[in-house]
Amino acid sequence: MSYLGGVSCEVMRTRLVPLSLVSVVALVAAGCSSETTPQAPPKKAALVIAQGGLGDESYNDLAMSGFTAATKEKGVEGQHIESSDVVAQGEQLLRRAGTSGYGLVIDLEFSHGEILPAIASSYPNVQWAFLNNKIDGPNIASVLFAEHDGSYLAGALAAMMTTQTGNPKINPDKKIGVIGGTKSVGIDKFLSGYIEGAKGVDQSVEVLTAYSDTFGDPTKGSQLAETMFQQGADIVYHVAGGTGAGVIEAAKKNNRYAIGVDDNQDKLAPGFVLTSVLKRADLAVRKVVEAYADNKFPGGQVINLGLADGAVGLTEFEFTKNEIPESVRTKVDDLKKKIISGELKVWNVIDQGYPTWLQG
Amino acid sequence: MSVCPRSNPDKYSRVLTSGFRAVVPFVIALVIGGAVLLATGHNPLAFYQLLVRESFGGTDRIAATLSAATPLLFTGLATAIAFRAGVFNVGVEGGFVLGGLTGATVALHAGLLAGCVAGALAGVLVSALPAWLKARWNVDEVVTTLMSNFVVAGLTGWLVTAFLQAKGVANSATPLIPRSAWLPDLLPPYGLTSGVLIALVLVMLYAVWIKHSVLGYELRQTGLNPRFSAAQGIRVGRVIIVSMLISGAIAGLGGAAHALGVVHRFVDGFSPGYGFTGIAVALLGRNSAVGVVLGAVLFGALASAGTTAQLFSDIPLDIVDVLSGTVMVFAVIRLWRQR
Repeated sequence: MSYLGGVSCEVMRTRLVPLSLVSVVALVAAGCSSETTPQAPPKKAALVIAQGGLGDESYNDLAMSGFTAATKEKGVEGQHIESSDVVAQGEQLLRRAGTSGYGLVIDLEFSHGEILPAIASSYPNVQWAFLNNKIDGPNIASVLFAEHDGSYLAGALAAMMTTQTGNPKINPDKKIGVIGGTKSVGIDKFLSGYIEGAKGVDQSVEVLTAYSDTFGDPTKGSQLAETMFQQGADIVYHVAGGTGAGVIEAAKKNNRYAIGVDDNQDKLAPGFVLTSVLKRADLAVRKVVEAYADNKFPGGQVINLGLADGAVGLTEFEFTKNEIPESVRTKVDDLKKKIISGELKVWNVIDQGYPTWLQG
Repeated sequence: MSVCPRSNPDKYSRVLTSGFRAVVPFVIALVIGGAVLLATGHNPLAFYQLLVRESFGGTDRIAATLSAATPLLFTGLATAIAFRAGVFNVGVEGGFVLGGLTGATVALHAGLLAGCVAGALAGVLVSALPAWLKARWNVDEVVTTLMSNFVVAGLTGWLVTAFLQAKGVANSATPLIPRSAWLPDLLPPYGLTSGVLIALVLVMLYAVWIKHSVLGYELRQTGLNPRFSAAQGIRVGRVIIVSMLISGAIAGLGGAAHALGVVHRFVDGFSPGYGFTGIAVALLGRNSAVGVVLGAVLFGALASAGTTAQLFSDIPLDIVDVLSGTVMVFAVIRLWRQR
């Protein structure tokens, strides 16, 4: 149906000069007395899906659900774009989106970060949004998540739980673990927060760390988690995408706890996933689409999403509530409030570099 | 193959026939894809029209198509050379990937030319062991080259995370190559790299070399009948090794060109299976130079148009994947009937 959109856009482009003249005249005529803007074309938004594609039951799917809901609610015409070669096609794909009548393009693919500023400046009338990294440009909005804050709460919770020796899933050792998908600052942001949270509660808790070097290998996740359980850890947090499914499975098999990430993974093995550190890409996309629809797009700004927005945080302990003592839950809530109020500041590896408790 | 391939008019008709043979699978795929589209309630003609527009409708789209075709020109040519010698090399993917990592890393310190050379050498390295095993011990190259792809995937992953990871980047990637070591763009700002010229020159060299050089002749003969070639005095083992090493060098150079011209680093998802699409390109193009170019442009067009078509219609990428997959299937079936 809408494939004629490109043609009308060609027409639009040739009309651009007279149109902007008209708008200047209109602005001058109107002075600053009214808020009427020149007649805007129907709002259209595009979502560029990242590597892994739709159906990943994680980042892409989550973002897509937010996109679908927000575009529908706000009456914005929404279109998503998948590519089997999203890394190399980035340049052409984004440029095409820039000339196709879209007012907003949200890019989920991390590797496009470097090419985006040049493209965005070529298409100044399009608003661009980028997730997980700060990209500079007057018409680019960047969305960052406070993953370190959510991970801090998970670390604090795990440190308090590892001493609950009455619980059959807890051993006498004061050890917990964390598995990262790859050694990089983006992942170490989670790890650092987790360790800081654990040490903040109890300095003597030992945190085992490991990296799976892959985000798609559950078998490796399971092996790493088994090793940690044998070394005396009883709660293992994974920040490793698809690899984490193996971590959760190992927890179930060994009657221990795993901690999930990104989406609510508590239901993957009810009772064996202590909690999940949520990272709501759907809320991020929703926020961007809404701002665009309301003509309040935060171009050139960074949107920080954190505990206060509910974009980052722990789950409601749907299956583990009875196993976590009331006092522990209260303490976690207190810490959350302290972080939100700014009383407690969690180390951010991206801004601050590596802390003493985690090797760079 | 035609019966008497020497006279000039026949040459043209041969080009026509090979062109025709390359087109048939594509037409069948269009029909099947059309049936799928109809069954899912879409208008096939409108969608094909959209695909054509998104492939060739304007400088920017042609640039996108050629850009998507460039890695396939390299991998298709690399595959065709091995196939011509009767070696079923499916390890071009590995050569491409290692060439990409090596090119990106060397160019970081030693510049553009060194990066390209190093990439080609890396590709040679990947194909050397399967070549020797095949020539010396007649070890099945399908197994060794296929497996070498997994070895390379593991090796590159480990090298990046253990030694080459860019600081401050959240995904697995090597540092950005300085602009001075990039392959220059042909059509700024559309991002068509001059890698496409390198690829086309290589294809032309291949066309001349395979027809008019002694080694080219030996290569073709070995591919047609290795035992007869050996009886003729052709050193079959040597021919196999040479064809594999050239194949590897082109694959590696392709990877380096992709790193230096397009991605400007080595990163997760560097090759979405260019080496494997290259097999389809070579099969569809009957290992001929013209066929490789046509095949690469076809798959490149499907890849680029399939992506941006989503901006204008609700037809999912999967339908385009059905089209590409069907073309691949029928390309193989035709070959099988010929032999």
